[in-house]
Amino acid sequence: MASEIHIPTLAPEVLFQIGPVNVTNTMINAWIAIIIFLILGIFIKKRINLSPGKLQNYSEYFLDKLLGYFDQVTGDRKKTIGFLPIVGSIFFFILLSNWLGLLPGTGSIMVGHSMLLRPANTDLNLTVAMALVAVVSSHIFGFVAIGFFTHLGKFIQIGNILKSFKKGPMAIFTAIIEFGVGLLEIISEIAKVLSLSLRLFGNIFAGEVLISVISALVAALAPAPFMLLEVLVGIIQASVFAMLTLVYLTVATSKPHGAEEH
Amino acid sequence: MPENTEHTSEVLHEDQVVTETHEEVSHSTAGDDSVLASLGINGQLFAFQLLNFAIVAAILWFLILKPLTKKMEERKKMIDDSIENTQKVETKLQMSEQKYQEKIDEAKMEANKVIEKAQKEAESLKADMREKAKKEIETLINQAKRNIQIEKEDMVEELKKETADLIAVAVEKIIDQKLDAKKDRELIEKSISDLQTK
Repeated sequence: MASEIHIPTLAPEVLFQIGPVNVTNTMINAWIAIIIFLILGIFIKKRINLSPGKLQNYSEYFLDKLLGYFDQVTGDRKKTIGFLPIVGSIFFFILLSNWLGLLPGTGSIMVGHSMLLRPANTDLNLTVAMALVAVVSSHIFGFVAIGFFTHLGKFIQIGNILKSFKKGPMAIFTAIIEFGVGLLEIISEIAKVLSLSLRLFGNIFAGEVLISVISALVAALAPAPFMLLEVLVGIIQASVFAMLTLVYLTVATSKPHGAEEH
Repeated sequence: MPENTEHTSEVLHEDQVVTETHEEVSHSTAGDDSVLASLGINGQLFAFQLLNFAIVAAILWFLILKPLTKKMEERKKMIDDSIENTQKVETKLQMSEQKYQEKIDEAKMEANKVIEKAQKEAESLKADMREKAKKEIETLINQAKRNIQIEKEDMVEELKKETADLIAVAVEKIIDQKLDAKKDRELIEKSISDLQTK
């Protein structure tokens, strides 16, 4: 029984090599998403007009809804548009690749011993890459928005310690604690990458395993509710990832707490 | 972990090419960190997935999101502008209507003034004319009266003359011989002057 159920491995499988490049099944899924976006993008870019056509209308509708949610986090449409290159592409890419992972053929078309198609986000490489882009870009935005030293001062709060010497022992004490908190913030930045990447990876991987197990047990009909669930998980994980990224970006670009008081 | 190694050994039997690549992946990662390797983290794959994401981001931003947001912003601006313009036009219209009304009122007032003035002028003209006519009539009457007077006086003069002649003739006939011519003349003249004084 156990040998019949093909449980996907944690690591993506290498299908073939182009020169020194290992091509994995998750990469193929990512490239399918890229091609779909490219075709859609060419159509949209070509037909874009002030009075929208059908395609533009639908995409604008979704984009407008999304921007509305983003505005609730950033509180400013201008900021939202500024973050959109990162947050928007993260959201749509995760969404599409999650849903692509539900297409028939995923996990069932085999090349040699490995699957040809695997949901792109079951590859921890991709989720870590996106999480890194999210967190690193939040710091870049932070440096640009509030200045290099102001942003750095959120983590290494030496300035507060120096200032506190004039204010007496209590102020020195709080400043030292704040310095420690700042160092903890550095760890939390690393934790952000971990939590973002592992959350997405874990959810999608779990979905994949669930569906493959259910399909192996009962071939027809039974996986359908789970696939519907995965459709939901796909959009939820995409929005969670995008929203968290947006929160990181917003927090990083806002001035540190009590900067005026000290 | 044991599952994973089992899987690789299975692959070894099945397919030569895949085995090689698998080994390579597991070798390169197993050296670094066993946890990362078991999760499938691999420097090369990571780099390529990063590249994939960069491509996705570029396509999404430059082909889809940027044009769409730009157009949406443009459309929003256009709508806002046109609404503002409409309001401007409306206020202008209202203002011009007000001005029009003011002008009309002014014109009405002026017209009323003109009419009033004309009426006054007509009134005064009427009064003048009446006055003039009265005066003319008076002068005419006076003239006529004077003419009548003169004529009357003339007639009286003539009547006197004729009466004196008549009386002289009558008295001559009555008292022809009793008085000489000289006394006669004196008498007559006396009686006439008496008549005159009377």
